[in-house]
Amino acid sequence: MHQAIPCSNTRAWPRPGDISSSPPVRQSGNVRQVVEDNPVVVVGRKGCCMSHSVRRLLQGLGVNPTVYEVSTEEETAVAREVCGTGDAAFPVVFIGGKFLGCIDRLMAVHMSGELVPILKEAGALWL
Amino acid sequence: MELYSGYLEDPFNHMKLLCPNSMTSASTQFASSMRIGGMYDRDHQLGGMWNDPYQVDDSQTTSPSLGDVKLDNPLDDVPNELQGSSKSYEHETSKPPEKVLRRLAQNREAARKSRLRKKAYIQQLETSRIKLAQLEQELDRTRNQGGYISGHLGESNVGLNGAVNSAEIAAFEIQYAHWVDEQTRLTCELRSAIQAQVSDIELHMLVESSMSHYENLYRIKAIAARSDVFYIMSGMWRTSAERFFLWMGGFRPSELLKILVPQLEPLAESQTAAVNGLRKSSQQAEDALSQGMEKLQQTLSETLTMGPLGGPDAIVNNYMGQMANALGKLEALVNFVNQGDHLRQEALQQMYKILTIRQAARGLLVLGDYFQRLRALSSLWAARPREPS
Repeated sequence: MHQAIPCSNTRAWPRPGDISSSPPVRQSGNVRQVVEDNPVVVVGRKGCCMSHSVRRLLQGLGVNPTVYEVSTEEETAVAREVCGTGDAAFPVVFIGGKFLGCIDRLMAVHMSGELVPILKEAGALWL
Repeated sequence: MELYSGYLEDPFNHMKLLCPNSMTSASTQFASSMRIGGMYDRDHQLGGMWNDPYQVDDSQTTSPSLGDVKLDNPLDDVPNELQGSSKSYEHETSKPPEKVLRRLAQNREAARKSRLRKKAYIQQLETSRIKLAQLEQELDRTRNQGGYISGHLGESNVGLNGAVNSAEIAAFEIQYAHWVDEQTRLTCELRSAIQAQVSDIELHMLVESSMSHYENLYRIKAIAARSDVFYIMSGMWRTSAERFFLWMGGFRPSELLKILVPQLEPLAESQTAAVNGLRKSSQQAEDALSQGMEKLQQTLSETLTMGPLGGPDAIVNNYMGQMANALGKLEALVNFVNQGDHLRQEALQQMYKILTIRQAARGLLVLGDYFQRLRALSSLWAARPREPS
């Protein structure tokens, strides 16, 4: 349905020791603390599949992001802390302690080719 | 015909002697009956009976078969029998022609009527067949264009096109049809503008129009996705050949870039590098979205799978809970469709930045032409002559 042809021949096969096969680093506690302590943080709802996409994208670039899972009760509070308004379009990404944006922004930054330099700058990537 | 063969082949060869032509003449009868062997010689003595054939008792049976005549009968019985048979003879000589002729005529008539009925039936079948073929074609065409038979479907939630919230989806289909028309017009304009080698400024305006036209599409898709995301995801609003390439409710940006690049040469080295980088980024983003989609499928399946068997209450509660859960998950599908369109938009924007205005115009022309050809292919495919099964 979403893919007429099952396997894209351009998709990289997971190599041994590939980051995507390792479990995501999950953290809890004060979101601000987590964001400051880790180079790449994905803040998203629990079990959100879009968060999964965000994580996969970052992992494909060689980054193992820290995941901060938010429950429905905490959502508004966390959103306020994260971007100042009570209404955040989760999942959102922090790089180098700085707020990058929601998935729209992430995709735009990636397509323009700016994401990898930003990651390198934050020390999340070494290549 | 067949009916009278027994008559003709009777063992006494009476009919051969009693020619049909001379049946009606009593004198001939008399003469013919005289000719019949010695059988009736003894009857001469019976007198006037034989002289007047019409005095014969009419109540005698008129069996055509003369095998009933018994030659070995005693003399007493003979007259009656002979009377009967003579009556039969008379009847046979007078009736056969009329009856035979009437029967033959009736047969002919019946056969003719049967032939006419058969002809009428076949004609009816042919017209029905043609009508069926026409209806099938119409249905195909309507399906391909994502048509919607308007009117009185407001009651039901599901329309003829299989979409939920038919009114909004019908509106989308109309808008999309207009979009395709406008797309065709813009593509034509681009073609003539490039061939006429108009100024950069004019090209610029055309390119801007084409770009914002694509944005219009994504906008109406987003609205329709809120009404029925499955409908958008299935690509039913597109033609069959376009659907073959379906990814996340539309085309794959990296594939489109692959098509475009050879048509844009010659490119500067920096441009080539940038385009390759863009294609790679697009592939990565597409893969990430695909994996998210797979995760959604997985969690949806898990949500729907039957839970632990408990009492009736537990089962019902589980079911309701699972359904509610599943419904919640389906909401996420809209986000994926939107992200797919967002990727397409980003790819377009980036290409616009990388290319010169002329290259961009040519690129948009190539894209528009490609989609047109896919649509044309779908029509040809739908209308192809099929061998009778």
